[in-house]
Formats: sequence, C-alpha cells, structure tokens
Amino acid sequence: MTTVTTADTPKRRLDLTRPVLWLFAAFMIVLIVLPLSWLVVFAFTDKARRPTLQNFVTLFTDPAFLDPLMTTAIIATTSATICCLVAAPIGWLVSRTDMPGRQIIRALVTASFVTPPFLGAVAWELLAAPNSGMLNQLYRYLTGAEDPLFDIYSLTGLIFVISCYTFPFVFVLVANALDNMPGELEDASAILGGKAWTTARRVTIPLALPALVAGALIAFLQAMTLFGSPAILALPAGFHTMTTKIWSLFQYPPKLELAAAAAVPLLLLTILLLQGQKFLLGRRGFSVVGGKYGAPRPIEMGGWRWAALAFCLLVLLNPVFLPYFALLNAAFSPNATTLVTPSTATLHNVVFVFTELSSTQLALKNTVILGASTATVGTILALVVAYVTTRRVIASHRLLGFLATAPVAVPGIVLGVGLFLSYTRPPFVLYGTLWILLLAFLTINLPSAYQQLQAAFATIHPELEDASRILGATRLQALRQITAPLLRTGVIATWCFIFIGVMRELSAAIVLFTSQTKVLSVLIYDLNESGDLAAIAVLGIAMLVITFTVVLAVNRIPMFGGGAGARLRNS
Amino acid sequence: MASVDLRGLTKRFGSLAVVDNVSLKIDHGQLVCLLGPSGCGKTTTLRLIAGFLEPSDGEIHVGERLVSSRARTLPPEQRNMSMIFQSYALWPHMTVTENIVYGLRLRKLDRDTIAKKLAAILATTKLEVLAQRYPGELSGGQQQRVALARALIVEPETLLLDEPLSNLDANLREEMRFEIRRLHDEYRYTTVYVTHDQSEAMTTADLIAVMNGGRVDQIGTPEDIYARPESEFVARFIGASNVIKGTARDANHVTFAGATLKVVGAPLTPGQGAVVAIRQHDIGLSTQAPASTENAIKAVVTRQVYLGAARDYMVEVADGTSLRATTPTETNVPRGSEVWLTLPPERCRALSR
Repeated sequence: MTTVTTADTPKRRLDLTRPVLWLFAAFMIVLIVLPLSWLVVFAFTDKARRPTLQNFVTLFTDPAFLDPLMTTAIIATTSATICCLVAAPIGWLVSRTDMPGRQIIRALVTASFVTPPFLGAVAWELLAAPNSGMLNQLYRYLTGAEDPLFDIYSLTGLIFVISCYTFPFVFVLVANALDNMPGELEDASAILGGKAWTTARRVTIPLALPALVAGALIAFLQAMTLFGSPAILALPAGFHTMTTKIWSLFQYPPKLELAAAAAVPLLLLTILLLQGQKFLLGRRGFSVVGGKYGAPRPIEMGGWRWAALAFCLLVLLNPVFLPYFALLNAAFSPNATTLVTPSTATLHNVVFVFTELSSTQLALKNTVILGASTATVGTILALVVAYVTTRRVIASHRLLGFLATAPVAVPGIVLGVGLFLSYTRPPFVLYGTLWILLLAFLTINLPSAYQQLQAAFATIHPELEDASRILGATRLQALRQITAPLLRTGVIATWCFIFIGVMRELSAAIVLFTSQTKVLSVLIYDLNESGDLAAIAVLGIAMLVITFTVVLAVNRIPMFGGGAGARLRNS
Repeated sequence: MASVDLRGLTKRFGSLAVVDNVSLKIDHGQLVCLLGPSGCGKTTTLRLIAGFLEPSDGEIHVGERLVSSRARTLPPEQRNMSMIFQSYALWPHMTVTENIVYGLRLRKLDRDTIAKKLAAILATTKLEVLAQRYPGELSGGQQQRVALARALIVEPETLLLDEPLSNLDANLREEMRFEIRRLHDEYRYTTVYVTHDQSEAMTTADLIAVMNGGRVDQIGTPEDIYARPESEFVARFIGASNVIKGTARDANHVTFAGATLKVVGAPLTPGQGAVVAIRQHDIGLSTQAPASTENAIKAVVTRQVYLGAARDYMVEVADGTSLRATTPTETNVPRGSEVWLTLPPERCRALSR
C-alpha cells in the first residue's frame, strides 16, 4: 500500500435540512389543519358564526339524518364482513397454495382495485337495473318470469357493489402478510407434530390476523366514506347514506353548518376505530418481516386446486368480468343494455364522446394534469414525512405523522367542504382553479401514501444512511444517494397508487369542481344523471386505458432504473 | 493530530442516563476498545463520538476542535471520521467499487486520484476480483472487508468500529481481528472499537475501557485490565475470576472461610468487608495438605469436568462459597473428595470496588 496524502475534508455546506423540514411541516399544517378548522367552526356555529350546538341537536333528532346514519353503519359493517370473508381465503390461496393461475388471480384483483367504484356502480346498473339490466333480461328470457332477479337499486345491491370494489384492500394486506411470513414458522410447528390444519389454526392465522383486522378496518372506512356508489345506486332507490346526505346539504339552499356537523360522527367513529385497532394489535408487536428466512412451502391441494381456482374466478366474475363485459358492450352498442352483435356494433358512442361531447377534452386534460401533479407532489411530501417519522429527525415528528394520517378520518366529501370553506376567501382564493382540486386530492391520498412509504423506510436499515453521513454526506445527500435509490420500488408504487387514487376520486371533486375544472369522474357522474350510460362506458374505458398507460410508463422511466429491482433482490 | 477527548460525556433518554459522565482521553494513533455487556452504553458512546447523537451534557474534543457539546454538535459529515457498522451497512444498490469510492466522490477528488486510491485499497483488502460485484453477492467476510475498505479509503482522522466482527463465524473473526490491528498500524489513525467480546478487545486494543451501566469502570492496557482488575465487575467480566467475600484483618490480610489470606492490590481497612479476586487457573488444588498453611483453604469437590487440555473443578469451602479451579489433567480428584486449595498471595487481588 502506497502512502497517500490526506484526503481533503468535504467542503462545508450549509445544512438546509432543518429549514426544509420545517417548511414541509408548515405546509402540512396548512394543508390539513386549515380545512378541518373551518369544518369545526361551521359545525359548532350558526349562520352568523355564533357558537351553538343546534346543528347536532337537529342531526340527532331528525329522522332525515338518523336514517342515513343507520344505513351507513349497516353498509360499512356488512361490506367489511363480506370483504374479509371473500378476500382472506383468496389471499391465502394465492399466497400459500399450489392453486394454478395464482398470478392471474392477483392481476384480476388488481384490476378490480383500479376500477373506480362509481364506474363499477354504473356497470352494475347496466347489468342489474330491475327492467333494463342485462342479467335481469337474461333471467326473464330463461324463466319467463315477470319480476327481476336482482334490483341493484337497493340496500343489498349497494352493499354488493361496494364490497366488489373494497375487497382488494383486504386482499392486498392479507396476501402481503402471508407472502412475507417466514416458512420456518410453519415448519417449526410441523416438526413439533402440528398437522397442516393445526399449524394453520395456531400459527398462520394468528400471524395473519393483524393484517386481516387492518384490512377489515380499511374496508369499513372505505365503505363508510364512499360517495359515488351510494349516489348512483341509493338515490334512485330513495334512501340516503351519510355521504349523499352531506352532499345534498350543499345543494341549493346550502346548509353548510349541518353538513359540517354531520361529518363529526363519521370523524369520531373513524378515530375510535383507529384507536381500537391500536389497542387490539399494539401489545403483540409481532412482525413477520425481517431476518433471513426461507420461502414458505406451498400447501399441496391435490384435486381441490381446480375447485379453488373456480371459486376465485367465480368471485372475480362480480367485480371484473361481468362489469367490464357490460361496459365494453355498452360502448359499442347502439343501445347500452342490448347485447352487441357484429352487425349492430357501432363506433357512434366513441365518436360522440370524443367529438360532440364538449367537456370530454377538458376533463381528460384536467384529470391527467391533476393525476400526474398530485402523484408527484404527494409522493415527495409523503416521502419527507415518512423519513422524518421513521428517523425521528425533528422533535415534532409525531405531530407530522399524525397530520399525515389524519385525513384518513375525513371523508372526501367533508374535506371538499372544508376546502371550499377555506379557499373561497382571502388570503387563498383558489376556488375555480385546478389548485383547489390538487389540494383536495393531495390530502385525500396522503395517508395511504405516507403509510406505504413509512413501511418502505422501515425496511431500510438506518445504518445505511449513517454510513453515508460519516463518510461526508449531508443529510440531504444521504437521502438522495442512498435512501432514494433503495426506495425506488416503494416510490413508484406510491406514485401509481396516488395517480389511480386521483382518477377514481369523486367525492371531493363533486363539491369543488367548476365548469372549467371538471374532471373525468365528475363528467361520468353528470352523464349518469342524464342517463347517458353508453358515453360513460366509453369514458370509463378511456380512463382505464390512461391509467394502465401511465402506470406502465412510470415503471419504465430510466431514472427509476428497470434493472434496479434485480439488483436489490440480491441483497 | 487527532486525539479524541471525552469530557464528562452524558446522554440521557428521558430520565435514564445511558451514558453517565464518561471521561476518556484517546491519544492520536491509539486503538481503544470500549468493552462491556450489552446495554452498558458503549454503542451510544460511539454514536455520540460520531455525531449521530447530541450529548445531554459534557463535551467531545477531536484534536483542537470542540465537536460536540450541549450547545452545538457538529454533524457527522464534518468530523472527518469513518465508521464500520455492526450490519456493515453496505449499500445494496451499489457495486463494491461504488461503495468504496463513495466517500472520495463526496470529497470531489479527480478521477485519477480516485482510481489510484481504489486500486491500492482493493489490493490491501484483497478485494480486486470482487470489485464489480454487488454486496448481496458476497459472503460475510467479504462484506466485512468491503466495509473496512470503504471506511479506510477516505483516510479518516478517527475510525469508529461498532461490533464489527459479531456477524462473522469464529475462524473469520480471529483472522479479521488481526487484520483490523494490522490496518490500524499501517495507517495510524485514532480508533475507537466497541465490542462485548473480551478476547477481541485483548488482542486488538492498546487501551481498554471497561464500561458498566453507562460509566467507565476501569481504563488500562489489556494486561492491566486482566491482571489487575480494580472492581468486582471487571474481575468477573474479564476472564474467569472467582470473587471471594471476606473480612479484612489488616491492610493486606483477609479472613475467609476460617482461613487467612494474604492479598495484594487495594489497601484494606481492618474490620471492614473485603472483596478479593483470584483466577481459576491460579488456584492450586491438591489432596495433600500443603507444606505451609499460608493462603491454604480446605474444600470439597462438588463437580469435575474433563476439558481435554485441563480439568475444571467446582469446590465448596467451609462457609458454603463455591470456587472454580482449573488444573492440569493429571490432577484427577473424584467428586466428594476433600482437597486443599492454595491461593498464591500475589494472585489474590483485593478490589477497591
């Protein structure tokens, strides 16, 4: 070894970390606290902004408000239960057995996940509206009966459609937990004499339980705060859920105070549920991630494999095959609910939507702009907050984490109101611009983005950053050169997640849009009001095409490195 | 010249003082081991030196510079230190070469200089053939060498090592121990080495600081620490010592189990309790009564194990205290036998704490 001269000490740089972090913190506070404060102010005051509890008295004595509350509770509970009952077995089959076509099933579940719930609801209108629904037509044709088989405009129909597009949340969590569970844990039980079923009952299921409970909770919240499906299916049936009720309070004459007050039970219930989950799962603190474990051995199902596959496909008939068939059919048929034949197939609907329907171009443009910008800003924001909380960079990291998760407790429509109240007055007059929608979508998508990236951060050993800093990198350099590349996969996933989230968002947009800031989801809702289901089908398909194109494109951007995945897998 | 000087260093998490008033001066070019059981505050001390943590009290000086104090802590990147982590912390998305030259790139050295230094360090650590691999493709020992190369190539004033060998198997650990010492001697930086393994500390360190409960219990050369422990904790933690609790008769005699022991070490106060340490292999064991009764105690064998190179005895003396003794294999006394123990006075060390 030759003697070498002393290396230069790294140049002194101004440490911008803290100011940057405080800037983010301030932005977060404005983003979340401002609309929520206005909500609280409106909930506890009358029109003259004098403090009062009258809003709550009205809320809890008037049957017009109590009934939607009950309906919402029923919908959320039954949907969450159905989701767990359906998603848990499918998750287990896909993750732990030798069932054929496991990858296809995963892809199909993802397909139902990216389907906007309101689009699914419209598709089920095409399928199961009492008179024109294609399934009911088929039923009548086959049996000669007068009455329809299904009526989608009913509480049962609504619960069914909500469950169709909520169960992927549970599936993803359960399948991930099972994917990551070390095979040794099951083997240890087997070697001690546990039979397959005993092992499943005593080891696998208890270990997957936290994921299932978390999934049930998300399903519950999702079903509770959904606006699109109830607006499409419950309103024609003549009943309200909390979200549609709140929305109706914004119709002329607006009753903003009551709407804000109506949001409070939803808010409290959500907080209660989140605390309950913490209490149930907090003490156990078992994590199935970490350590070098072997891959689990798939369970051999023998002859039951095909039965299992049939079960999965049968379930996926409802959120994927039937609705997409109905939408495709409607898009190319002269009559939305008539089965298309080669001789009747027409491009009339497509031509109509893209050339004659005046708002299409604008809505498409707005949606893509909002999707890309929200995903980019949201990912960066979530990245910084997740970093601060997992690495405890500043004293107030808990507060930041709380702020980032708080919007989970705020239904989209309520947030929409809060933003409406905040940004129609100085100093921030943003109403009527795309900015207000950007803020809404950002806030709505922040909790899930934050949680995803926090989980991603937790898998990166803090010593990897420490090693970079002790060699002379500033905190920001370490973040850019070490942490960012290691987070690639998580970042891409989060970006896509937010983009998809924006595409399917309706509940906040419905309150905040103006004619110049219409987005696709609002356009589709409008078309549903006017009964133009064929145009919806065309737009829905266009929307999915955009989603898939963007997701594929993002995964191929060289900056995010196509080969990175292979390299990281080696470690 | 970069000495490292800890002055009254304290780190509290909440009300718990994990590092409690630690003072330690490390001269330039010295290799100091912080040795102690897990939870004794040694890693926290190291992270304080590195600047990853801010002290609750006290100061750290490196050379002439004050780098940490309650008021101001220089960030790690401005300390011109290197560190080797327990997990190695190799970046999985960079090749061996990219990992190693990372610090040089941050220092904005030109391409030729980087290439020259890289070639030299790869040769020293025998990593040439692995230069284009990713860390995930290396064995534990190879990863350890990459971590060493990455830390050394920037020629730090101070090198910090946090249990660097704990993830290696026994053979490799022994080899790497000497490797670390060899590289230290070659570059002469100031090294702080954290470990819980006393033989690791003995073979590598110039100076050992034994830590217990956030405090430094004893500082000394490996020989000091081993042969002249000052506290019961150090005596027990370093090597296999018996700790005898008796009563002082005068400044250097202790009454214990009906016998009187002449001892060395800390001066005793007559009438007070006295703690005496003696190593297992310093105790003589015989079935015959020794010629002189000085420092001889009668005992009964309660256990005997054949270790191959020696025999390990557990004996019980009159007051019920159990002592361990290691003898040559020829001394073969069955369980239950009465034996005489001889405790050489120069090996009986009275402990001050």
